[in-house]
Amino acid sequence: MVNATKGQFITCDIPMAQFIINMNSTLPASQKFIIHVLDNTHLFVQPHAAEMIRSAISEFRDKISYEKPA
Amino acid sequence: MPQVKIIAKNFMDMVAALPTLKLDKLYENTFICEAVLRSLPPLAKKYALQLLYIEEPVTAKSMEEWVLPDGFSKHRVAIDRLIQLRVFIENPDGFSRKKETSYKLNPRFQVNLQNYTAHGGVLPRESMSSSITVRLPTAEELDSYALEQWESFLLQLISSGQIEKTTTSFSPSMMRIFQQGLVSQRDREGPRLTESGFQFLLMDTNAQLWYIIREYIINSEDRGVDSADLISFLLELSFHATGQAYNTSTLDEVQRSAVKDLADLGLIKLQQGRKESWFIPTKLATNLSVSLSDSSSRKEGYVVVETNFRLYAYSTSKLHCEILRLFARIEYQLPNLIVGAITKESLYTAFENGISSEQIISFLQQNAHPRVCDRAAPSVPENVTEQIRLWESDLNRVEVTPANFYDEFPSKDVFEGACDYARDNGGLLWEDSKRMRLVVKAEIHTLMRDYLHRQK
Repeated sequence: MVNATKGQFITCDIPMAQFIINMNSTLPASQKFIIHVLDNTHLFVQPHAAEMIRSAISEFRDKISYEKPA
Repeated sequence: MPQVKIIAKNFMDMVAALPTLKLDKLYENTFICEAVLRSLPPLAKKYALQLLYIEEPVTAKSMEEWVLPDGFSKHRVAIDRLIQLRVFIENPDGFSRKKETSYKLNPRFQVNLQNYTAHGGVLPRESMSSSITVRLPTAEELDSYALEQWESFLLQLISSGQIEKTTTSFSPSMMRIFQQGLVSQRDREGPRLTESGFQFLLMDTNAQLWYIIREYIINSEDRGVDSADLISFLLELSFHATGQAYNTSTLDEVQRSAVKDLADLGLIKLQQGRKESWFIPTKLATNLSVSLSDSSSRKEGYVVVETNFRLYAYSTSKLHCEILRLFARIEYQLPNLIVGAITKESLYTAFENGISSEQIISFLQQNAHPRVCDRAAPSVPENVTEQIRLWESDLNRVEVTPANFYDEFPSKDVFEGACDYARDNGGLLWEDSKRMRLVVKAEIHTLMRDYLHRQK
């Protein structure tokens, strides 16, 4: 019997995939959102995770960039 | 989500969109007839003049004989346009029973234009003699006045609230109408330019002017002004001589209130004498009815971008500063120079506001300073344009698609069948034939489910 799971399909580059996987592993078991790591650049996650991932990435981006104070 | 793009449609498209009754009323004015005639494509112009003294309807067939086979598409366009503007009337009464299409010139249009060719046009008002007006502004003064007025209007448009002193007399509700679609009003954050707002700022003055005038006309009905009256006045205005003074007392009530608004936009300059008052049309007004698309009056650029991402804008205009601030970090301002830098952060703010990298790049290229334009090298350094594009793509490193994941297929055949089915429906995102797993777009989940049920 074929089994179907609803979720979000993520396509990204390898570093971003690693970043998301790392983020997942730091969360407590009840909040883990990755359902399958499909391959190096594709992930399958829970439907509600998309927003969380986006905000985490932009937070990360802000952290590694420096703005000259005015 | 698709955004409504700002298309600077032609004045005449607006005229064409008027209901038949209003359009016929417009043609009572000789100047409108002439403006319409001028706006026509060359072939249509020829047809209109060819039929000028022919009272009888001409069949479509005989007109088709005038053109060579390869000019037929142009012929079609010309005829369509003429009918759209109701210059041609299709199948006038009593002729349609022959089951043959025929055209006749709109009688009002015809009579007016016949008179016009014979006697020339006379404006409803004479320019005033110089003995009353004493000193009129010179052409340069008038141009700079128009530009200044227009810029202060634009500045108010994009940054309402920040400017404490209002320079124009437009009511806040009128201003809000203009801002619709250009500026999004969000609570707390204050007004922000939208994507179309940025596109608006990138357009040349004539196109911007037309956009505003169009909004002004469309909303005239709400103010209790007939849009046809307004259009006819605006078209008439474009036949006035630039820099000449015309007495305000020749205007009726509607026109007088319109004149005030137009003065705020810089289309005309109002002056007050001892007894009389008069208005002077500027270049902006007289250019209004000429086809706006092919305006050759390109402004001179002012922006220099260096390979180190620094930006120098030789401009005194506050408006230019505001535009640059949308995507660059303004560092300091000298009396005639704005110095800034394109930084990753400033661009991210721009991208968040829905401005794309291509828009920014084309803006920089279009407004490049003549000195950098003349060089053989690209007007904006390639490393800068590339970096702007890269920063934008950096924001889109992660792509998320709602999807369904299928596994535990009973056999290879079922799996491959399912893969093919998903591919045929354009929904296959990912497959792993070794472990028989596949990911399919959420849109076609129901289709997939039905398909898999059938396979059993």
